Amino acid sequence: MRRVLTTGSSRGIGLAIARRFARVGDEALVHGVTHAAALGALSKIDGKAQAFGADLSKPEQIEKLVSDVGEIDVLVNCAGIYEDMPFATATEADWDRTIAVNTTAPWLLARGFLASLRKRKGVIVNIGSDAGVLGYAGCVAYCASKGAIIGLTKALAVELAPEVRALCVCPGPVATDMMEQSVMKAADPEAERLRWASFPHMKRIADPAEIAEAVIFAASPDCGFATGSVIMVDGGVTAGKRV
Amino acid sequence: MISFDYSDKAVLVTGAGRGLGLAIARAFHEAGAIVFVNDRTAEMVASAMAKLGGGDRLIAAPADLATAAGARKAVAPALAQGALDILVNNAAVNIERGIEETSDDLWAIHLAVNLKAPFFTVQAALPLLAKSQGLVINVASELGLHAIPNNVAYVAAKHGLVTMSKAMAIELAPQGVRVNAICPGTMDTELMADCARDSGDPENYYRSFRAYHPLGRIASPDEIAQFVLCLASPAAAFMTGSAVAIDGGSTAGRV
Repeated sequence: MRRVLTTGSSRGIGLAIARRFARVGDEALVHGVTHAAALGALSKIDGKAQAFGADLSKPEQIEKLVSDVGEIDVLVNCAGIYEDMPFATATEADWDRTIAVNTTAPWLLARGFLASLRKRKGVIVNIGSDAGVLGYAGCVAYCASKGAIIGLTKALAVELAPEVRALCVCPGPVATDMMEQSVMKAADPEAERLRWASFPHMKRIADPAEIAEAVIFAASPDCGFATGSVIMVDGGVTAGKRV
Repeated sequence: MISFDYSDKAVLVTGAGRGLGLAIARAFHEAGAIVFVNDRTAEMVASAMAKLGGGDRLIAAPADLATAAGARKAVAPALAQGALDILVNNAAVNIERGIEETSDDLWAIHLAVNLKAPFFTVQAALPLLAKSQGLVINVASELGLHAIPNNVAYVAAKHGLVTMSKAMAIELAPQGVRVNAICPGTMDTELMADCARDSGDPENYYRSFRAYHPLGRIASPDEIAQFVLCLASPAAAFMTGSAVAIDGGSTAGRV
């Protein structure tokens, strides 16, 4: 039984990942912004699971999370925030918030858990985004944060091999609360949902379970020769576009 | 050397006190441009301006780029003049450490100067660049495309800068502002000398980095500066959102 910490696993992609690890017999260490949020997710997980709360924009809470959780075999950095943010008006606080959660927290957690990951020949799976590879208007800071986590993944991979592997799974649009919130803010939510579903070549939005499947593979011994890999699970978005 | 004419163009170069930044500032200045010279302190800027030969086409723009306010301050002289055609985000921090030795502060300064500052200099300069139909060149690194060990904060920040350049290119294209990144390999600069000294074995450091590039040498800052002038010229007018490696072949493969 591996001990697997998945950040941001009280809902969305993270919850699907935690559920999937528990189903194959691993211990799911569930993290949410608050302990209550993480506890609430435990009823959705079959298998051994524990709940942890931490605001990942605060380094001191990350430090506490690392000490509360103890040793782990797999770190899945899934917690992330997305905010529509026009470039011309984004503030320093907007920038700092995005980078803190999406880039700095994964780094602090990787460094924090390094001793046990080395000892247990563990795996780090970071959740990137198609927006870490392609540029999108309206979310320049988000693209920067996800580009940086891809770089972080490669840097961890080359420095920590052969003891520890590091990979980055990059989803395209996924049906999560985070997407739902963004959709509901649009003037015409249904049209906005269709717009999201239209741009992947697969012509739909992914289910969180499909992303979890890629993460499970990345963390498994079957994937043991892969490190530093950027695994696109994006419906073909980064492969190209139609004229 | 190709001869460029940048007369009547206004260029802001961050981190122009030494190394590649100074070479870029010199190349634009010699090609006739008005150059806003940025580095951390007024003294560093004054010294760079003296090295560039002085004159009324050099304007001091001292500012510490560790904060958004500092990034805006670097653009202030251009805003005061009401003109900017080319913004070169060159300033960078590179202190090589292993993962365990990369402190919170070391991580923070790499992300602040190498990634956050370019966001806020471009934001502050946007009205001027939209007016001039100007362009941004972000100096990333080959380490924005792939990684080496013991440089995690720099690698993360430079990858972020490459993707951020693409996002800026997409968002600013409708306004006619272009954004490209260059990804240089190792250059013979003061920064490299700092890193070499810091490594404890400078001679071996230079030898291994020469061998690391398939061309068998490191670049001179002047040749990278010439490339920046090419990229800023009308010859590259259809380019935006590109991240161009100029790295002696190091990201192309293994020797």
